[in-house]
Amino acid sequence: MPSDGLHKPLIDHADPIPPGAYWELLMNLTKREVKGRYSQSFFGVAWAIAQPLATMAVFTLVFARLAKMDSNGAPYPLFAFAALVPWFFFMNSVSSGTLSLITYRNIVTKTYFPREIIPLAQVCSRFIDFFAAAGLYALLMVAYGASLGLWGLMAPLFFLLLILFTVGLTFATSAMNVFYRDVNPVVQIALQLWLYLTPVAYPLAIVPERFRLLFVLNPLSAIVEGFRAAVVFNRAPDWPITAVATTIILAVFVAACVMFKRMDKYFADVI
Amino acid sequence: MDLAIQLDRVTKRYRAGRSRTVVDLIGSTLDRARGRAQDVHSTTRGRVDADIWALRDVSLDVPEAAGVGVIGRNGAGKTTLLKLISRVTWPTHGCVRVAGRVVSLIELGAGFHPELTGRENVYLGGGLFGLTRRDIDRSFDRIVEFADVARLIDTPMKRYSSGLYARLGFSVAIHANPDIVLVDEVLAVGDAAFRRRALEALRNLIADGKTVLFISHDMWNVRRLCDQILWMEEGRVRAYGPAGEIAERYMSEVNLQALANQGTALQSHRGGTGEIRYTRVEIVDADGHPSVALVPGDTLVVRAAYRAERPVARPVFQVAIVDVDTGLVITTATSRPNDVPDAVREMGMIECRFPRMPLRPRQYVLRMSITDTHQLASYDLVSAGPRFAVSGRGSGVEGLADEEDGLVSLPFEFAHHTGDVPAVHRV
Repeated sequence: MPSDGLHKPLIDHADPIPPGAYWELLMNLTKREVKGRYSQSFFGVAWAIAQPLATMAVFTLVFARLAKMDSNGAPYPLFAFAALVPWFFFMNSVSSGTLSLITYRNIVTKTYFPREIIPLAQVCSRFIDFFAAAGLYALLMVAYGASLGLWGLMAPLFFLLLILFTVGLTFATSAMNVFYRDVNPVVQIALQLWLYLTPVAYPLAIVPERFRLLFVLNPLSAIVEGFRAAVVFNRAPDWPITAVATTIILAVFVAACVMFKRMDKYFADVI
Repeated sequence: MDLAIQLDRVTKRYRAGRSRTVVDLIGSTLDRARGRAQDVHSTTRGRVDADIWALRDVSLDVPEAAGVGVIGRNGAGKTTLLKLISRVTWPTHGCVRVAGRVVSLIELGAGFHPELTGRENVYLGGGLFGLTRRDIDRSFDRIVEFADVARLIDTPMKRYSSGLYARLGFSVAIHANPDIVLVDEVLAVGDAAFRRRALEALRNLIADGKTVLFISHDMWNVRRLCDQILWMEEGRVRAYGPAGEIAERYMSEVNLQALANQGTALQSHRGGTGEIRYTRVEIVDADGHPSVALVPGDTLVVRAAYRAERPVARPVFQVAIVDVDTGLVITTATSRPNDVPDAVREMGMIECRFPRMPLRPRQYVLRMSITDTHQLASYDLVSAGPRFAVSGRGSGVEGLADEEDGLVSLPFEFAHHTGDVPAVHRV
């Protein structure tokens, strides 16, 4: 019964915000996250590359020098770094993403906005780290006299899979952690162990057959091996494993989105 | 009439007590598997967690372009109501319908980050209210001008004072092109000048056809802004109607209840050197009966007993009436020679009489002091003495709503002249 054209109808659900505003909010929360993390530290974003670099150095010492790990002919530092960069993107996103809704409880309980933007901004804020470390990888390649081949074009595809998996998992853990705070410590411990159950320090090829199923069902195996195939060895990825991982990743992503949207109405009540 | 907000039998239940843990989850899953009652908080499991019913079966229609004051005691459900309308939280039962964009001011600048500059936070806060970069670009100058922070706009907000923080938060919100604005007690942060401008801005929004819901304990501000009042009590709507009528009912009930419970003790907020002190202060009516509820035009008598530790020469007794919300209304003092003897010793009593008291319906508190002759040194200072409330229309004429505004009633007459105005009155 609008009396004029200006009157807006009564609706019983949240009015979706325009895509421009959604993007603006995501970018601003990302910026807030990055600034909060690196401002007032002398080296700033340089810290973003310190983590994979230091880990690479230790891995090189332990696995390449002491354990004489076979890196399929590639220089071990390149071999490890190509997997550590996506690994840390995943680990740091999930690690801080799990806590993100709690960290932002102040705005969750006081204003309405699409809640998934908060964990999403956590993942976006790690893009800087990822690309800074990727730049360092390029320098390492030059140093080792390596070069990119055509299979390098597959890297963006694996990056996409990495993002989907990271976002899906972060949605799930952040939402669950609102209701059950025990989720966070479990996630943090799982991330520590996950690194060693993923072929980051070693190639998938040396995994014995009886453990192989475990590695195939871990989508990160296909992702780090895929990155390596693309930028270290310049060869085709292992298609069957990649197909399994893609299926799992899409299932996790869709399930996590559905779960998040069903739970987010109750965030403000329990947070 | 078009509606801006409609609540249809809305109930909101919160779980009280400790939060659920994974142990509870496992417990409830096991219960479900065994086909038992699924409530993990049931008393039979030894986990007593009472539910809080923040809202019970609330139905409400708020028309467009209304200013609605939301009043009620703490825990009456006011903030829950705002959170439901702004979709921060969802009803347990019932339906909340809203027309247009809602901006909630439950805490000013809640989305701001202290490490970011004012400028960056305007974009961040605007985004939380659903604005795009282009929207904010367009109103950026007005936002900064209203908040009066041009000088500090590129400074990190951790350097801002809390008042400035609140100002910028408020400014972003009202420039977010809202259809409905929800305000929860947030104007208490800023200074008086900002409060005035904020109220004026909210008033302009109402005049532009926007709807404002305004929670405040300050009846003065509510009356200035709102033509309707929603009175919440224990999660239900106690009354909803014209502001003047509801405010009067609320004042005479809730405030007087509180006044009836006040002690006669004068312990707190005492100052002064103590040579002479008040021992008892009471408010009585013309017949000498104790009274804390008055009607405009009543006679108000303040009786104060004192005790002097040693003889004090020419003390001055002061009685001030302070409006609880806005401050001092009037001070009186025993200034004439015959008011008090040259020297007071031991015990005595003063009486200050206000015949045909012209105070308007508000809540007041007495401030009492005893000073030396020159009113320089104070022997005693009671900054929060007994309270009293004025309510009702008294014996005055039935007037317009605006006639009820203000602190005091003064006799007034209007005159009207036609034709050319004498030069001296030209402005």
